[in-house]
Amino acid sequence: MPGLLEVNHLSISFFTPRGEVEAVRDVSFSLNAGEVLAVVGESGCGKSVLCKGIMKLLPPIARIKSGSICINGTDITGYGERDMQRLRGKLFSMVFQDPMSVLNPTMTIGAQIGEAVKVHQPRIAKKELTEKVIGFMELVGIDKPEERMKMYPHQFSGGMRQRSVMATALAGNPKILFADEPTTALDVTIQAQILDLLRDVQKKLGTATVFVSHDLGVVARVADRVAVMYAGKIVETGTVEEVYYDPRHPYTWGLMRALPAFSKGQDYLYAIPGMLPTLIDPPKGDAFACRNEYALAIDYREEPPLFPITDTHYAATWLLDKRAPRITAPVRRWKDE
Amino acid sequence: MLKWGKKLLFFLFYLFLLSVLVFVISRLSPGDPLVSYYGERAEKMDAQEREWAENRLGLRDPIPVQYVRWLENALQGDFGISYKYKMDAAEVIRGRIGNTLLLGGSGFLLIFFLALWLGVFCAWYEGRWVDRAICSLGTVTSCIPEFWLSLVFILIFAVNLKWLPSSGAYSVGKAEDVGDRLWHLILPLSIVVMTHLWYYAYMIRNKLLEEVRADYVLLAKSKGLKRSKVMVKHCLRNVMPSYFSIMAIAVPHILGGTYIVETVFSYPGIGTLSYESARYKDYNLLMLLCILSGALVLLCNLAAQAINERIDPRLKAGEFLKEPGVEDEGRGV
Repeated sequence: MPGLLEVNHLSISFFTPRGEVEAVRDVSFSLNAGEVLAVVGESGCGKSVLCKGIMKLLPPIARIKSGSICINGTDITGYGERDMQRLRGKLFSMVFQDPMSVLNPTMTIGAQIGEAVKVHQPRIAKKELTEKVIGFMELVGIDKPEERMKMYPHQFSGGMRQRSVMATALAGNPKILFADEPTTALDVTIQAQILDLLRDVQKKLGTATVFVSHDLGVVARVADRVAVMYAGKIVETGTVEEVYYDPRHPYTWGLMRALPAFSKGQDYLYAIPGMLPTLIDPPKGDAFACRNEYALAIDYREEPPLFPITDTHYAATWLLDKRAPRITAPVRRWKDE
Repeated sequence: MLKWGKKLLFFLFYLFLLSVLVFVISRLSPGDPLVSYYGERAEKMDAQEREWAENRLGLRDPIPVQYVRWLENALQGDFGISYKYKMDAAEVIRGRIGNTLLLGGSGFLLIFFLALWLGVFCAWYEGRWVDRAICSLGTVTSCIPEFWLSLVFILIFAVNLKWLPSSGAYSVGKAEDVGDRLWHLILPLSIVVMTHLWYYAYMIRNKLLEEVRADYVLLAKSKGLKRSKVMVKHCLRNVMPSYFSIMAIAVPHILGGTYIVETVFSYPGIGTLSYESARYKDYNLLMLLCILSGALVLLCNLAAQAINERIDPRLKAGEFLKEPGVEDEGRGV
């Protein structure tokens, strides 16, 4: 049985005047109904592009170069704008990173949520629409929705705006929700509230969610499965337990060591050395090799395939090859915490 | 209230300043007001006759004295007589203003809606050949001076093709004929629209292109909204406040264009009148026309300011503090 969302060998490039930027390279994953998949990686590794690419929200200079996107077994890779309009909102929708800028400043919150309801029920009665909007505002935990639906975004705090964005995203009863770093622009206490809300709503409605984040600590709270992305590729994927308790890719180790909790009792916070390679002409071999303390000679010459560790756990590193030296992960096990 | 009182005070002050400037400049610039009053006869007058005539029109006094006299009368609503028409300046203007309002008003409305439509059209086809073609054409038409384009159009459509009349507001004896008036309106109106349209359409286009790249478009699209809806309901909505205020300022801009076009087409409106009165030193008429035009410019600027404050909810700063239920954050952070 095919998964709800199947992405196969998807590559997306931006054709800029300076050259082709290979933002997403050969990414495959699947998402089942009701599941939360977290996509983790540092800024600029292609997480957002992946989500927007699936919803075809990228600017015209971005193109899907190869691969396919299937929904319930139907290939939507070649869908044009008109077909996508029918899917957006109803099949999938998105919560964006910055709630300050994604709400239209000149429309009331209620109108913006109502619009999302109305797209798929054009003949809905006004009273029923208001009831629905209030319902969605209550769902995402906005107090006094009757009053607040008449307010403008600038009268809302950051957290309330992100709740409103969630209400808009959920208003079409989507099967899949893309949450693109929904907590990054918020301060820490509100981050936790929004995460809990996301998890609650997800459980209540059974919406499959692709949760994009750069914070492994956040991901542990919400996800069922994790995909770690680096330089446009998925380098490790598995269930949360597998990736957290038994990480295999040196980049995943680096991300984990970079969590403040792992530096407890030490003088400094760990950071992965170096920075992302430019994605115009990505380096040959493993893109992470030059930042990897455990890089092997082959890493600079040949790209590692995804080695299976279990049925669900894969990692793309030559360290998993039979011939590679054994290396114990430099991270304390999550369990020991 | 205090704010509007202050604005009114400034309004009056600027009008006063304008009247002083126009009064002094018009009297210091070369030209003979007697010609406009006595016509050809003024040229044959000897010095004694001239002196008598100038005394009669009060032109011999020093300029400040003349100004104070003018101001005293003006404050009582008497703007003097027009030298050329030998009747109340206000009366002369009343007879002509309808024509100008017809030309300028219909020009303004056409520009307002056509610019909106053209701007959206170009933004919709951004970067495609239609957009590029309209952009180049628009730049050319908006750069051509009105008087030159008017002459070219008269040459083509009136002289060579003989399709349209070259001057006036109506044919002789057909002042009441609406069709004939519209017939005469076509050429001047198309010049007014053509030379001003692109300026505003281009503004709409560029503002829209800024808006379609804004983040809120992503959310609107991800709801499943159609592109046309996103463009009109979301992007255009954000452009409208600035468009309204710009169009308020555009009133004097377009009116200025109308004045020039009127002159070229000898269209009997305020524009031709202003040109004549300045050219032939018809002082009282010129003063009143300048005061009226100046008041219009000031009023339009005030309107633009008011519109801007009224229409964008974000500019109503401080108001949200009065809204109940925002201070107590509760669950909804």
